[in-house]
Amino acid sequence: MKRNPDSIVNVLGKTLYVDDLPENAGMLHGAVVLSPSAHGRYSGLDESKALALDPSVRVLVAKDVPGQNQLGSAVLDEALLAEGDWHYHGQVLALVLASSRVLARRAAARVQILGREDLPAVTDPREAFKRGDIILSPRTQRMGDPEAAYKDCALVLEGRVESGGQEHVYLETQGAIAWPEDSGGARVISGTQSPAATQKIVARVLGVPMNRVEIETRRLGGAFGGKEDQANGWAALAALGAVKSGKPVKVYLNRRDDMLATGKRHPYSSDFKIGLSADGMILAFEADYYQNAGAACDLSPAILPRTLFHAAGAYRVPNVRVTGTMCRTNLVPFTAFRGFGGPQGLFVMESAIEQAAAVLGMDPVEIQRKNLLKTGDSFHYGQDVEDARAEATVTRCLQKARYETLRAEITAFNAAHKDLKRGAAAFPLCFGISFTKIMMNQGGSLVHVYNDGSVSVATGAIEMGQGVGRKIAIVSASTLGAPLASIRIDSTRTSTVANTMPTAASTGADINVMAAKVACDEIRKRLIGVAAARLGVEPSAVALEAGRVYLNAGAAATGSEARRDAGLSFADLVNLAYEQRVDLSAHGFYATPGLHFDMKSEKGHPFLYHVYGCAVISATVDTLRGSYQFDDAFIVHDIANSIDPIVDMGQIEGGFAQGLGWAALEELKFDDKGLLVSNTLSTYKLPDAHFMPRMDVEFYDKPNPTVVANSKAVGEPPLMYGIAGYFAVLDALKAAKPGKKGFYDLPMTPEKALRFLADDEPKEQGS
Amino acid sequence: MKDYAGPIELSLRINGETRRVQARPGDSLLRLLRERLGLTGTKCGCENGDCGACTVLVDGAPIKSCMALAVECEGSDILTIEGLRGHPVQKAFAVENGFQCGFCTPGMILNAVALLSAHPEEDEEADREWMQSNICRCTGYEGIRLALASARRSLKD
Repeated sequence: MKRNPDSIVNVLGKTLYVDDLPENAGMLHGAVVLSPSAHGRYSGLDESKALALDPSVRVLVAKDVPGQNQLGSAVLDEALLAEGDWHYHGQVLALVLASSRVLARRAAARVQILGREDLPAVTDPREAFKRGDIILSPRTQRMGDPEAAYKDCALVLEGRVESGGQEHVYLETQGAIAWPEDSGGARVISGTQSPAATQKIVARVLGVPMNRVEIETRRLGGAFGGKEDQANGWAALAALGAVKSGKPVKVYLNRRDDMLATGKRHPYSSDFKIGLSADGMILAFEADYYQNAGAACDLSPAILPRTLFHAAGAYRVPNVRVTGTMCRTNLVPFTAFRGFGGPQGLFVMESAIEQAAAVLGMDPVEIQRKNLLKTGDSFHYGQDVEDARAEATVTRCLQKARYETLRAEITAFNAAHKDLKRGAAAFPLCFGISFTKIMMNQGGSLVHVYNDGSVSVATGAIEMGQGVGRKIAIVSASTLGAPLASIRIDSTRTSTVANTMPTAASTGADINVMAAKVACDEIRKRLIGVAAARLGVEPSAVALEAGRVYLNAGAAATGSEARRDAGLSFADLVNLAYEQRVDLSAHGFYATPGLHFDMKSEKGHPFLYHVYGCAVISATVDTLRGSYQFDDAFIVHDIANSIDPIVDMGQIEGGFAQGLGWAALEELKFDDKGLLVSNTLSTYKLPDAHFMPRMDVEFYDKPNPTVVANSKAVGEPPLMYGIAGYFAVLDALKAAKPGKKGFYDLPMTPEKALRFLADDEPKEQGS
Repeated sequence: MKDYAGPIELSLRINGETRRVQARPGDSLLRLLRERLGLTGTKCGCENGDCGACTVLVDGAPIKSCMALAVECEGSDILTIEGLRGHPVQKAFAVENGFQCGFCTPGMILNAVALLSAHPEEDEEADREWMQSNICRCTGYEGIRLALASARRSLKD
């Protein structure tokens, strides 16, 4: 397939990320002074050694903030710059400006903390819960009556499940460049997933209305949720520096500072109780999720309900009670990460099924298959299951993986090998699409057709590698009838499209493609009018396609006179409209229809639709070393009608790789004092080319009539296939230790595998 | 910056052109390329030699430029992404979707150029070993694997 011009720019190394933009003369560089421990007090900072380094050095602290020193959105509990105390390792105490990056960093290292007093740090969410240190109130969703249902169960099991956090490791670290404006505001180029949210925070920090702050976002070097709320602080610091110094200021974090100071995926500690019939039907499920929210609220209140929504996974469970609590600890504020709380909830359910299967003497796949959601079932949050695709995708995936044969091969292999053991597991996926906060499901666009026939499309979407720009271009071109090559996707700017939502929750394409289409439809209508008048026919007889105007548009349907080229190109028609003073610009707006949710009853219709799918993964464990490799991954993914198959395939493969990393490899480690231990890419292991299994991905392509182009969102769902990787390794480990109870402490690192094999109980998370 | 030793003048060949540049003893090759020469195609991902985003070829060998001192490269022949100018490996990465966000791509491509000259014949295990020095957070490496295969084919034609 031929790629768009963006891809050529990229492989030539010409894409300009934040740190690549030409620097203005006089630009200052910012470096941050970070808190040295997880919890502490101080009386002030001694800046003298920093200032002595160079005349360009300047140190900014909380009292320099002209507006509000506040980053919080749901809860106002996060200072931009610390004021006398800190609550996690890596909290920003001061911004140091200097004429070069090296100088700024050296100066920051010379800032002394005065009167430092370290305070006790809480890192375990259950301990925070016990102390009553929670954020907002716990939330509970329920359906039926689990307590009553347990009486009818042949098996009732309880267990504890841990899942670790995860670094985003977007390869481009966080950063922003700000220019001071004469209005008292600033113009900022920011690496943010949410320019409008960044605009609001920058305006608040500067103490000016939002109309004096412009945020522009170009292509991001990866984000994965890590640049949603977490990008705001760096933009605000750059803007603060610019306004205070009167010069452009760049704040661009180095990797260590980024890993210390920015939020990650939430670690969870959970308890479950599951009840099943003797033949493996799930009759009741309860869970309590202790979300480690870190030291500030951030996006935790939006993430927690997604855990609850996904508590029962792809399964029909008639009796459910699930409760989630945000626990405040002395760790970096945890934040959005692809999946947004969903993966943590799904892992608990799969752990319960694995444990139940072992007791019932069944293959977990049997329990998974028996309980899959069907059209007409109800989710525990009140939404009906429509157009269920669980059985279709699971059946196809098991067939593709030759599951029965694979099982037999594994049994034979394990009988023949003493030190190597193989295992396999399946994971059926059901993931809800829409922002769980209903008001966020809206988007705008601004489309300009220039008089040479070239088109500029601006939306609120941020391109970060997921191909949203490409999808918007494809749909805009087909709607306008313009050649694809004539479409340019503009950078995302708050002055072009206002009040946009973050590009997040997998909704970037659904919402912004639709907003662009609304504007393109409007312009197309005007152009057709111009063409019809010129050709002396009814507008209904004119068609605009791929850059040409056609007559007898309905010919194919009626079988009358054949459709023919009217001798006008898209550019000719545009120029004609321009000469006739026809408006060639339009604004589009889209709000996802039909969504509602009542927070009191915890019932409603929070999702436009669900994405289904299934993964089967096999692994081989070296039982002497605890090391393992993933052999094969078969995935059948509910993509519906793919707008851009090559982009969607990349999202599935890449999302899965991240999920496998979370489930097996990536261990976010804090020590018992709350200091981040995994603070470089040499101590935090990421999936590399050698880690990944052979992948065989198939699209399940039944159209989805609820959205434009009959497509389905693809960003987050594939990540959760990684969960099958955890259980594939566990399956192999249990082949080495028959009869031993499994453990549910993600990620499945070789260290934990070896502990299991050595007959030690796996170490608890957070120690 | 009086506690720094003064700048040293170096002579290097960069993308086929001889350049005389000033560098301080502590400057990495990466900083020299990006900040002194404005060659921002080479990316900085970690400054710790872990991610490979800053890979360039020094006398034909893939080097993490954040880990090399500029002064060590005196007299060397350095190839960056700007010097490749439409190499078959670049085309293969574009056609096979060998990237998503694109930030790892310049380093990945230069490492792939070195790989294909060392291993012109298909060898998937060698590819995996060689390429594991470069982190891609987006693709799951499948698009990169396809790009390598496609580039190998076109280099043979």
